[in-house]
Amino acid sequence: MMTEQGRILGSLLQGQFICQVSDEEGWRHLKSRDNAQKLEPHLNMLNRTLAATADGEVFFAAYLTLGDEERKVLTQQFQETASSLVPLVEWLLLVQQASESDLPVTMGNAIRLNELQSVIEDTPAYAEQLEKISRYRLFGSTSVNLDGQIKQVFKRLTDLGYLLKPNPEKQIYLVTGKVEHLYEMIKFIDETESLSLSEQAEAAIQQGSLL
Amino acid sequence: MSQVLIQAGARLLNALGRHSELIMHAYVNGSVVERDHSPKVLEQLVQLGVLWRPDPQSALRLKSAVRTLLEGSLQDERNRTINANIGASLASLKTLAEHYKEALHYNRFNEAHAYMTDLTEHVYQLTESLGNSVRVLFSRINNEFGYVSSVEAKIRENELAQGQVSDLLNQLECFRFDELSSIAGSNRELRHLLVVSLQQSFSRAAQELSVVQARLLDLLGRFREFQGRTRLLKGYLLHMEQQPDFTPGNYPSLSQVPLLFNQASRLLGNASADLNQVGHEADYQTIVAGLTNVHRRKAQTAENHASKEIEVTEQTSVALSKDPLQLAVDDYFCEVIDNGQPMSALEYYAREDLDFDPEVWIYQVIGGYQSLADADKQYFALDANGQPDPIYSGNFYISDVTLGLR
Repeated sequence: MMTEQGRILGSLLQGQFICQVSDEEGWRHLKSRDNAQKLEPHLNMLNRTLAATADGEVFFAAYLTLGDEERKVLTQQFQETASSLVPLVEWLLLVQQASESDLPVTMGNAIRLNELQSVIEDTPAYAEQLEKISRYRLFGSTSVNLDGQIKQVFKRLTDLGYLLKPNPEKQIYLVTGKVEHLYEMIKFIDETESLSLSEQAEAAIQQGSLL
Repeated sequence: MSQVLIQAGARLLNALGRHSELIMHAYVNGSVVERDHSPKVLEQLVQLGVLWRPDPQSALRLKSAVRTLLEGSLQDERNRTINANIGASLASLKTLAEHYKEALHYNRFNEAHAYMTDLTEHVYQLTESLGNSVRVLFSRINNEFGYVSSVEAKIRENELAQGQVSDLLNQLECFRFDELSSIAGSNRELRHLLVVSLQQSFSRAAQELSVVQARLLDLLGRFREFQGRTRLLKGYLLHMEQQPDFTPGNYPSLSQVPLLFNQASRLLGNASADLNQVGHEADYQTIVAGLTNVHRRKAQTAENHASKEIEVTEQTSVALSKDPLQLAVDDYFCEVIDNGQPMSALEYYAREDLDFDPEVWIYQVIGGYQSLADADKQYFALDANGQPDPIYSGNFYISDVTLGLR
């Protein structure tokens, strides 16, 4: 019989992100320092260690020590991430703008595909934006109609672990903690490369209001 | 005097009841649509002080007193504002208390009673308005300023609410219980009103306000985070637009890889079935049972050659060579047509010196005649020559057939 600990260890080793949305029990388990410490030796044996982002709300397995092999994996992974940042950011902004509240997409948000789709259908600018997003290699949609595009985008995002579809019958998606990880990465890039992204956006908004 | 007052009040309330629909309409929409109602009714309501016209061009609106009454009774928090003028109320409380004490001192009990009623009313009003103010703040917080859509507007609303909280807190500082208790002195009723009841509502308000303040700060933090995130995303897109070739540094090659980018690859593969495990036997069996409808095609690796080119040319037509017997029958038919004379099959057989069996020949001639199309058949006549059977009636031996033209 598999223990809770074993189950969590398994999903960590499969490269999954554990957050309150994707696996509440596991997340609660890992939140306790004792449990996390018990898990650590098992991970260490496989050159892994428990890592957390987004203020300790999202857990995943990281390498303990980095050799050449590990660096190669990480480099490749990083390049993939870097190339998918723009499509993901555009998608996040599209969902934010199309939702009524204009709140950013965060962990635990529920996205109702039908509502989103009807808003996008009614607004040609959003429809154009969606078409552009769906054409990115990350999503790889070749569909000409909006329905196919949005479904493909959401399907890919579910595969990538950013979204979760709790009920296969219903078109309701939950945003997982991986989105928080995405924000953290952009924040990190912003700080490391000193891009001052917020200031750029601020300046653009102010110029927009002047025009 | 009081009779007149009561009558006037009753008239007002009746008017409110009679025109309740108009009033509620005005309450919901903010103003009265004058076309829909008779001018007389409107005039009456204006005279009663239910409706008023703020300036000559504007529409008729509900008087704020009526509006407040409705808001209070319906617990409608939409338009409620915070009445923070506690200092003034406290001052009037003190004055009334002094009046009351003076009246008691001179034994003017009627007067004292009136002052007491007034004072009670004021105290309860004050406690109610305190409670209302806090409730308004709470209701705004509970829907997280949902009535404004943008995060910026929410932040502004939050700041306004925080301002109101600090105003209220400043006003609460006006309560000086030592002063109030010295005014109340040893009078039991006054003490009850000024010290006990006011203090209770004061402490409740102060407590709730601290909760409100904490929630507001919490919310503000969240709104700021939302704002920050939106800016971050927009900024990133802007940056990518301006510098499309921007690539972040290769962080995994740093000596200290940041934790964010240190994501171990997946490790676990699927386990295999252990057929020696007796305990799993039943499970394996169900799995195998579930496999029956899987059709495995044979691997077609080697046989898959590229298809040959297909030549599309005309096929040589196959001519069916006719049987010599049939040809002879055809000739016989032609002979009959050419001569126009009936001719016996055997005669023709003898003349042409054919080498088939005579019986076969006759059968073939009959067959040839029968196989003609109906339209052709009617040109020919075929007579059978022979004799009936000498013993059995009804049997006819055909020895020869004669073909002629009709």
